[in-house]
Amino acid sequence: MLEQQLINGLTLGVIYALIAVGYSMVYGVIELINFAHGEIYMFGAFFCATFITAFGLPFFPAMALAMICCACLGVLLDIFAYRPLRRAPRLAPLITAIGMSIFLQNLAMIVWGSRPKPFPQEALPAFFHETALTFSGVQLSWLQLFIFSLTIVLMIGLNLVITRTKTGTAMRALAQNQRAAALMGINVNRIISFTFMIGSSLGAVAGILVSVFYNTMYPTMGYNAGVKAFAAAVLGGIGSVPGAMLGGIVLGVAEALGAGYVSSLYRDGVAYAVLIAVILFRPTGLFGKAVRQKA
Amino acid sequence: MNTKTLLRNALLLAVLAIPLLPFAGDYLLHVLTLIMVYMVLAMGLNVVPGLCGMLDLGFVGFYGVGAYTCGLLTMNYELSLWLILPIAALNGAVWGILRGAPTLRLTGDYFAIVTFGFSELVVLFLTNEIWLTRGPLGLPGIAPASIDLSWLSKAINPEWDWYWEFIGEKPYFYMAFVMVVGVFFMMRRIEDSRIGRAWFAIREDDLAAASAGIDVQIYKVIAYAVSAAIGAVAGSFLARWTMFLSPDMFKFWESFLVLCMIVLGGLGNMTGALLGSVVLIAMGELLREILPRLGMPAETRFIVYGLIMVLIMRFKPSGFLPKIADAALHNPIIVELRRSLKAKGVV
Repeated sequence: MLEQQLINGLTLGVIYALIAVGYSMVYGVIELINFAHGEIYMFGAFFCATFITAFGLPFFPAMALAMICCACLGVLLDIFAYRPLRRAPRLAPLITAIGMSIFLQNLAMIVWGSRPKPFPQEALPAFFHETALTFSGVQLSWLQLFIFSLTIVLMIGLNLVITRTKTGTAMRALAQNQRAAALMGINVNRIISFTFMIGSSLGAVAGILVSVFYNTMYPTMGYNAGVKAFAAAVLGGIGSVPGAMLGGIVLGVAEALGAGYVSSLYRDGVAYAVLIAVILFRPTGLFGKAVRQKA
Repeated sequence: MNTKTLLRNALLLAVLAIPLLPFAGDYLLHVLTLIMVYMVLAMGLNVVPGLCGMLDLGFVGFYGVGAYTCGLLTMNYELSLWLILPIAALNGAVWGILRGAPTLRLTGDYFAIVTFGFSELVVLFLTNEIWLTRGPLGLPGIAPASIDLSWLSKAINPEWDWYWEFIGEKPYFYMAFVMVVGVFFMMRRIEDSRIGRAWFAIREDDLAAASAGIDVQIYKVIAYAVSAAIGAVAGSFLARWTMFLSPDMFKFWESFLVLCMIVLGGLGNMTGALLGSVVLIAMGELLREILPRLGMPAETRFIVYGLIMVLIMRFKPSGFLPKIADAALHNPIIVELRRSLKAKGVV
């Protein structure tokens, strides 16, 4: 039983990690909690399902297309909502982020209706729900295996982009000091757009995987997932990409164990408890660095 | 008496006279009372993001704490509302401090997310602790408010019985009116006091405020307590007014709506909070009628609220009634300075 809980927790955890990376990267470059990130995740699931049902695309092309659409959505979000407020007081973009989150959520409700919908299962490869591995009584489906491997590939790819490419270097420079980066000839707005693009497409993947895993999607799904992923990002140290990955996994496992052994009623409460505990006892998270106020 | 106070008094009288008008049906009075409940909430929330500059996303938690305090005390102990109000306010304040104390050192973003988590935990608690709150079934049949002065009247004349139960919308309308006026004047007084000035200083720059000798943490705790107590008072009123409570009434949407009100009216301005409540509740009632006719679910009216917040922050970040330090406008030295500068053509 414990092993099965652990596996389920890990599955959720890697998905949280995917969303958390989006939060963490955006926070790293513009120091803003992008509350609308959870909505991008939700849009990813709906886009993918729409491409499958409306255009008859197979699962994998639909997923790629949904990633591209969400990347565009993320960039548009930045350009229209956050860019005009770069120099405004901190409260203004934060309030805008909340407003955009509500706006997008209700937009999805208008377009797709407010009821939960099943994910179009016929488009999925048939073997997804078969058991891939069984060891000591734990069953691992092909779908879970797919989720793990896809996430690991994406994470490795992301790490390579951040550490090896010029754009990734520019991104890290921006996170350290925006003005100095601009003086070195980095096009700040383009890098920020790039960050939103990457974060949003990873969020879209997470949304698709969750809706396939649970076979349900609804316009308010981004709300809880967003908070949990944010908790994961904080746990890992906000601004740190490896931290966000680890935080997501730890949180997913903690949640599954909490639901299994403490009380399933407070399942959603685990994330908040972790969040508050981290903020109280180790505000920099696992991998974060302390930042001095008003340097 | 200048025109401004005259106008204000006329407005107050006009509002008081509304229930006496022939066309004032239950629906109109209900909506007006709802507006006034939100006015109190908006003024309460305004203390934290408006006066101290910390984004609070979980204000509805205190509304819920207050409402359930009142509902449970009424149903289990049959206490009078007048006794419950201070208890609920105190309970709200305690929770405000409990939530605020650990988050004192947090910057805006972290604070926002912790407050959000708090309100979600309140909803989870109300939903899951069935032994106390009956969970999702809610608390039906809370006794209405009443004024019981029979002990006084009996002492004067044994034949008299001064006991009134609040039935229908009218008594609640007046009660809400008294509540709004009371909270408004209390807030105006606090704003102009030492506490209020300290809050404004913290909002502008907490480091500078601390350097000027303001104990930032104490004043923040006071702000959380005041804000939470006001939210709890509004909640107690709600419990006795609607006579029904359920955890669904205290979801994040409510916090968002109240936040939208103060953003619209101007962060930190109490009059703006009043204006925001009127505009948004009236608009909500209109949209509730219009949207289903366009084939959209009524809850999508929040898309308008979201858009309002984004647009206001973009084009009018200080809202429609911006908070300006109007004390300076009446300061004779500054008035004289401005006049002389204008005469020289500098400004």
